[in-house]
Amino acid sequence: MQTDVLLLLLGVFMPFGIAVVLFFIPRRLKGVPEVLSLITALACFLSALRFVLLNHALTYSFPLLSLGEFIFSFDLATGPFHFFLILFTSGFGFFIAMYSFRYMASKSRRKEYYIFLLLALGGAGGVLVADHLIVFLLFWEIVSISLYFLITTGGEGSREGATKTMAILGAGDGCLLLGLGILWYLTRQLSWTAATVAVNGWLPAVCFILLAIGAVAKAGGMPFHSWLPKASDKAPASVMALLPASIDKLLGIYLLFVLCTKVFVLPFGLQATLMIVGGVTIVAAVMMALVQHTLPRLLSYHAISQVGYMVLGLGTGIPLAMAGALFHMLNNALYKNCLFLCSGAVESKTGTTELKDLGGLAKVMPVTFISFLIAALSISGVPLFNGFVSKWMIYQGIISGRNAVLFIFLIAAMFGSGLTLASFIKVLYSVFLGRTSPVTKKVSKDVGITMQIPMLVTALLCVLFGVWFSLPLNAFIFPALGSAPDMVGSFSPLLAALLMAGGFLFGILIYLAGRIRRKARTVETFTGGETAGGESARVSGTVFYNTVETMRPLGAVYGAQRKGALDPYTWFGRLGLAFSGLLKRIHDGRLPFYLLWSLLGLGVLLALFILR
Amino acid sequence: MDVLFTGLYVLVFPGFLTILVLGFFSSWIERKVTARVQYRKGPPLLQPVYDVVKLLGKETILPKRGNPFVFAAAPLLGLASSSIVAVMLMIQPLVASSFVGDLIVVVYLLTLPSLALVIGGAASGNPLASQGVSREIKLMLGYELPFLIVVALAVYKAGFRIDLEGLSGASAPLSVSGVIAFIIALFCVQAKLGFPPFDVAEAETEIMSGTYIEYSGPLLAVFKITQAVLLFTLPVFLITVFWGGIRFVGLDIFWFALKYVVILVLIIVIKNTNPRIRIDQALKFFWGFCAGAAAAAFGLAVAGNVFGIAWL
Repeated sequence: MQTDVLLLLLGVFMPFGIAVVLFFIPRRLKGVPEVLSLITALACFLSALRFVLLNHALTYSFPLLSLGEFIFSFDLATGPFHFFLILFTSGFGFFIAMYSFRYMASKSRRKEYYIFLLLALGGAGGVLVADHLIVFLLFWEIVSISLYFLITTGGEGSREGATKTMAILGAGDGCLLLGLGILWYLTRQLSWTAATVAVNGWLPAVCFILLAIGAVAKAGGMPFHSWLPKASDKAPASVMALLPASIDKLLGIYLLFVLCTKVFVLPFGLQATLMIVGGVTIVAAVMMALVQHTLPRLLSYHAISQVGYMVLGLGTGIPLAMAGALFHMLNNALYKNCLFLCSGAVESKTGTTELKDLGGLAKVMPVTFISFLIAALSISGVPLFNGFVSKWMIYQGIISGRNAVLFIFLIAAMFGSGLTLASFIKVLYSVFLGRTSPVTKKVSKDVGITMQIPMLVTALLCVLFGVWFSLPLNAFIFPALGSAPDMVGSFSPLLAALLMAGGFLFGILIYLAGRIRRKARTVETFTGGETAGGESARVSGTVFYNTVETMRPLGAVYGAQRKGALDPYTWFGRLGLAFSGLLKRIHDGRLPFYLLWSLLGLGVLLALFILR
Repeated sequence: MDVLFTGLYVLVFPGFLTILVLGFFSSWIERKVTARVQYRKGPPLLQPVYDVVKLLGKETILPKRGNPFVFAAAPLLGLASSSIVAVMLMIQPLVASSFVGDLIVVVYLLTLPSLALVIGGAASGNPLASQGVSREIKLMLGYELPFLIVVALAVYKAGFRIDLEGLSGASAPLSVSGVIAFIIALFCVQAKLGFPPFDVAEAETEIMSGTYIEYSGPLLAVFKITQAVLLFTLPVFLITVFWGGIRFVGLDIFWFALKYVVILVLIIVIKNTNPRIRIDQALKFFWGFCAGAAAAAFGLAVAGNVFGIAWL
């Protein structure tokens, strides 16, 4: 037991320790930060793997400070599911560190990059094992701040996105702090697992909403989503893949899961709110993704949209849908990570992420293309890939609710999945298929092996989780939920895979029957006698959805969105400006006026003292 | 269930082989009826087979500016996905349970033939195919919304069951909402098949077959087979989900055949009496009229259930 605790603490604190060490290592030593972070992430991964294999719960308490009712102690409480999540965070950390060897090689602030990467990893591990509310909040903040600094390593222009991220996440964390305070007031406990709160008055409801805002803002759900696309503009793709796409999702949804199942007993009103937030997020975000013109922005809108499925699943309160939401959280982390890494690979080879300048990369970057294709099919929910399984579980959960009103969410979720597919068709066409552009003509080979391995491994996991989904479900998801709900429908992926393979084989036989007589010939594309070459014959995928974009009444909504009218960040920004404008007017620089204000303030203070 | 029997089911009856034959047969009916509508004599029974054999004899031409591997793989995906759905739908009455997967799996698999077409067109590097891709995928977005609503309606009417057996046994067509759902689903099937008035993605007269433009020889043959299989699969899907289901016992076989022919003829008549509409018109039609009607049907069904009025 003692060694277990030591190993656990080591797994959580080693990244912090190494980050501090890195801080003092001179910049001249090339390769040291890279190798050290790789080893650290691997060590965390192995330690988590050990606990996953041991498969038992672990608690640890180390009292630090006690002031009457308020006890601050370093409490950790973990189970197999927590270690499974740490397995993911540290695994992502490992692969991102490996990917960054080449990807970050030309960037200037490499040392800071690795320091904050490690801090984020340590913070994520801490969040997942912490039981004490304040310890939890500390680690949570570490992750937020690391994200800010990681985004700024993107170089020129990245600070704007980082600031917006910090503003929204900071506001979310503020809500979280307030919510935790109310939770303490309600339960007089500073532990997540100590007591369940029945939401029967306005105060518990406010408490839940505040905590949920913190969780949803972290995960990037609507309406606290706008930091994601902004950050993606200039942040390194590896940062987007590690934090907003994977770890932030895991942490945010994990918190929401804990809130919905362990801490609060939710009334129908709050569940309905969550479901509406989820449903709207799914459709609205993917509609935005449909009309984006740069790869990271498009991917970040999909990252928002996918959060909707998880929030929706957790909101239903139906065990099967909640299990689906948890599974979707893991699946999303896998394919989203892969997608951002592929986008980074494209960017590092072509120097651009504008869809209109790309095209025909599948031929020269086959590994990137295959990984991207698998991840794109997974996120679109094509059967035999992981995204399908978790969405399918959420749908089944909704149907098993046996309520016609819930079908609105079912249709929204399923339609969102179709929109996702459509959006990724556009990406596949614009980036990988289609014709080569002047920019992509210069690309001659795929990215290096250290960048290929992370993409391939995550893509492979998408397929593994899609076909052998009962493994993770039975081993981790159902135990975390505390029950193993029965599936309403049925799906045998192995049989489906077999039949698909049979269909493919049959088609190949037809091909062979034709090919025996003649060889294939490659000719110029046919355009009805027009000259087929030249830039004018290249159709960019960016025009695919112009019909949707200009359609009434969608056109008006898109217009309003472009002006920022649908973004709370803009609203609060304007509110803040108006308020500071008011203050500015008071500051007119005349001495008597300031004196008057001081006297007035004194008067108020005096009045307060007398009235007490 | 015995492995050998399952294998026979899947490969011979009512699996791949039967579906292939019935698909070619449907394709022949389609052409024959079309010919009769236009006062022509029409092709002989084996014409669809002759076409495929003829195509197999032609050389394979790959587009220079496209991606040959993806270009050749796309028709395979279409064939595999359309035949797996056909197998699932046809075996279900024999084994009396969902084979491979439930309704959600079927609905998702049914998007794959369109996906195959789109990927293939995208990989051909042809600007006209790009137009076709753009239109096909928008069309898919269009019909998917009303399609999902009526499918959800069928699930609701079947008592929240998504296994094919439950749906097949419980779908009651004799109600207002059931009829509306069937009609909307029929429109969606028309678009899924790419038949007029929803043939915007092919549109021979303006973008020269769009997504198919670069396909020739055996590759085109596989697409032709896919279309034939789909022409059989989608009506069977309609019968399973919206029109009383399939049973291979006694007189039910006759009813199944009759329903099938009725649906096929309906599809063919719509095909031959309507001019092509533009893609924006198609989107408006599906997102506006069809989705609205489907939602209204859903409302009727819920009202009928709540107030105990069976014919709603």
